[in-house]
Amino acid sequence: MKHLGKKLVACACALALTGSMAALAACGGNGENDEVRIGVLVSDVSGEEAVSFRNYYTQYIAEQYNVTFTYTEQLNDSASEIAAIEQFAGQNYDAIISLSANDRASQAEACEEAGMYYAIASGMDDTIYETYKNNEYFVGQIGPSMSTEYEAGLAMGEYYADKIEDSVAIYGAFIPNPMHVYRMAGLLTGLGATYGGATGEAIVGAIFADSGVTASKISLEGKTVSYLAGFGDSTMTEMGTIIATDPDALLSVGMATTFFSAMLNEAGIPYADIDSFTTSNAANMQSGTLEYLAGKYTSSIGPIFAAVYNAVQGNKIENADGSAISISQDYWVATSYEQFEVFQTSDSVTDPIYNKELLDTVIGEDVTYEAFEAFVTTDRTPQA
Amino acid sequence: MGNLINKHQLKNFGVRTAGTLAVPALFVVVIFIICAAQGVMVLTSSSLFADFVCYAAIVTLTTFALSINLGSGRFDFSLGSMATLSAVASAQLTYSMLGGGAGSGIVMLVFSVLIGAVAGAFSGGLYVILRIPPIITSLGVALIFEGITFVLTNGTYIMSEVQNDSMTLFRTQWYLPAVIILVALAAVYFLFDRTKFGYDYKALKEGQKVSINTGIREVPNAVWCYVICGALMGTVGFLQAARNTYISTNVLNFGSISVMFTAFLPMFIGGFIGRFSNDKVGYLLAGLSMSLLNSLFAQLSLIGIIDSSSRAIVEAVLLVLFLIFLNNEQTCRDLVTGRIFKKWAEAARERKAAKHSREDK
Repeated sequence: MKHLGKKLVACACALALTGSMAALAACGGNGENDEVRIGVLVSDVSGEEAVSFRNYYTQYIAEQYNVTFTYTEQLNDSASEIAAIEQFAGQNYDAIISLSANDRASQAEACEEAGMYYAIASGMDDTIYETYKNNEYFVGQIGPSMSTEYEAGLAMGEYYADKIEDSVAIYGAFIPNPMHVYRMAGLLTGLGATYGGATGEAIVGAIFADSGVTASKISLEGKTVSYLAGFGDSTMTEMGTIIATDPDALLSVGMATTFFSAMLNEAGIPYADIDSFTTSNAANMQSGTLEYLAGKYTSSIGPIFAAVYNAVQGNKIENADGSAISISQDYWVATSYEQFEVFQTSDSVTDPIYNKELLDTVIGEDVTYEAFEAFVTTDRTPQA
Repeated sequence: MGNLINKHQLKNFGVRTAGTLAVPALFVVVIFIICAAQGVMVLTSSSLFADFVCYAAIVTLTTFALSINLGSGRFDFSLGSMATLSAVASAQLTYSMLGGGAGSGIVMLVFSVLIGAVAGAFSGGLYVILRIPPIITSLGVALIFEGITFVLTNGTYIMSEVQNDSMTLFRTQWYLPAVIILVALAAVYFLFDRTKFGYDYKALKEGQKVSINTGIREVPNAVWCYVICGALMGTVGFLQAARNTYISTNVLNFGSISVMFTAFLPMFIGGFIGRFSNDKVGYLLAGLSMSLLNSLFAQLSLIGIIDSSSRAIVEAVLLVLFLIFLNNEQTCRDLVTGRIFKKWAEAARERKAAKHSREDK
C-alpha cells in the first residue's frame, strides 16, 4: 500500500511536469497571441548611437506595435553571432535584425536553417547580398550601402581638401571592417590622396589586399599625413604624438568622437567624424573642436523594422525579380552647431521621424516594392 | 680585514646594483637601437612623458596587485573587473556630487580606491567562505562585477563623467601619477615588508601548514590581501579612466580578464630583479620598462611597422623568452662567462675516456 502510494505520487508529479512543459511549449510557440518576437544582433552595446537605436526599438516601436525586441550582448565574432541566432531559434523567435557585421554570410545561412526572417539594419557587402538575395527568409538590408559609405568619406575629404595646408591626421577606426574601408577610400580620394598608387574606388581593393592601411602608402602631395587605427594600450600615446605635431585637422572614419574628443578639444585641433547626432557630439560641436559630422539618426532603423514586420505577417516585400530588398540610406552632415541642433531635435526616441503614423503607411498587405523604396529614399533631412 | 669586508661589501653592492638594473638597462639599450634604426624617437614632449608615467603607474600597480595573490598561489581573474567596477561607480558617484567641477579627480580617486577595497573584500570573503579554489571563485566574482558594471551603466560608455579639467591633470601632469606610484610603492613595501601582516603573509607563502601550526591566522591574512589588491585595482581603474578619457563597459563574459595579462611579464621581470634588491622595486622598474616599450610600440605603429595584433605577439614572445631564461639561468650565465664551453669540453673528454675504458676492457 505504501509503495502504491509512492507510485501514485510519482505518477502525479510526472503528469504535472509533463503538463507544465506542454503549457510552456504552447506559450513559447507564439500560437495564441500575435506578438512578434525579434532578436537583435549587436556588436556595439555602449556607443551612444547603439543605445539610441536600442531605445527606439525597445521604448518606442515596442510600445506602438505588438513586438518584443531582445538584444544580444556584444558580439565579437562569427561564432558568437551564430550562437545567438541559435538561441533565438530555440525560443521560436520570428525574426532577426542584425546590427553586427562580423559574418553576415553565416548569419543569413543560420537564419535560413532556423526558418527565421533575417534583415540587416545597415549596409552590406554587394557580393554577400547577391549570394543570399533569393534566400526565402532574407528580408533584405536598409542602411548606408557601401557606395554610400564611400560617398560619406568622399564628402568629408572634399570638405577638407582645401583646408589642409601642411599636415593631416587620419584615424582608420577598425579597418578592415568593410564599412570603414569604403569610408577611408572615399576620404583619401576626396582629399586628393593616393594609396600605393591606387586612386578612387580602387583604393578599396588595395586596402583589403593589405588587410589594413599602411601609412607609408598614403601620398598627399606636399602634405604630411599621420595615420592611426584601432584602440589599444598604445593608442593614446599615438594620439599624443600626433597632437604634438599640431596637424591642421584629424579626419576619422568612425569612433574618434568617443575615443579622442577630450584630447582634441583640449589641444584645439579641428576634427571630423562619421558617427551620430548624440548629446556628447552636440557638446563637442558647440564648445569643442568637432567641426564636421556625418551621422545616422535614431529612427533611421525604422524602415527595416517595417520590412521585417511585414514579412512576419506574411507580406514580405520583394524586388520585381522576387529577391530581397536592398535600399541605401544617406547620412546627414552637420558642419555647424546650429545645423546639428536642428538634426538632433528633429528626431528622438519619443518623437522620431519614423513614427508610427509614417511607418503604418508601409505596413500592410498591399504595400508594393516601389512604394516601399520611395518611402525609404525620400529625403527627410530636416531644414534649419 | 677591514679592507676585505669593504671589498666584499663593494662586490655585493655591485652585483645587487647590476642585477637590479640589468633588465631595465637592456630595455633602454634595445629600444634605443630600434629607435635609431627606424628613425623614430620616444618621449619627445612633456605630454608624452606624462603619458609614459601614467601608463607605468597602471602597469606597476596592476603588477603589485597580481603578484600579491599569485605569489600565494591564488590566481585572481577578477582584477580587471574590480578596476572597471571601481572606476565606473566612483565616476558616477563623483559626477553626481561635483558635476565634473574642481576636485573631481582627487575625489574620484579616493572613491575608486575605497570601492576597489570593498570589491576586494567581497572577493576575498567569498573565497574564504566558500573554500573552493580561488581560480574558480575569481572567475565567478569577475562575472558578478562585470554584471554590476553593466547594470550601473546600462552598457554605455562613461564619457562626460570623466572628461573634466580635474581628471585631465592626471593625464597631462606627470608628477600626479608619479606620486600615486610612490605612495602605492611605499604602502605595499610597508605593509608587506615592515608589519606583522607582511611577515605572516611571507610565512604563509613559504609554508602554509607550518605557519598555521605556529598560530598564524590564514583567513584574515588572505582577506586583507584581497582588500589591498582591490584598492590597488581601484587606483588602476581611475588611472585608466583618466588616461583614456572614457571607460569602456563592454566587459561582459570575461571581457575584463585581459587587464591581468598585461602584468605577467612585468611580474616575472620584477621577481627576477627582486632577487637582487626588493621585489616591489623590481615591479616598479619592470613597469617603467614596459611603459617605455609601450612608447616604442606607439611610434612603430605610427610608421606602420607594428599593429595591435603583432604587438601582442611581441609581448608574448618576450614573456616566453624571459621564462626560458629564468628556467635556464645557470646555462645562460655559463654561456656569457664562457664556462659552458669548458663544460662541453670536459664532457667530451669524459665520454672519450669512457669509450677508451670500454675498449680496453
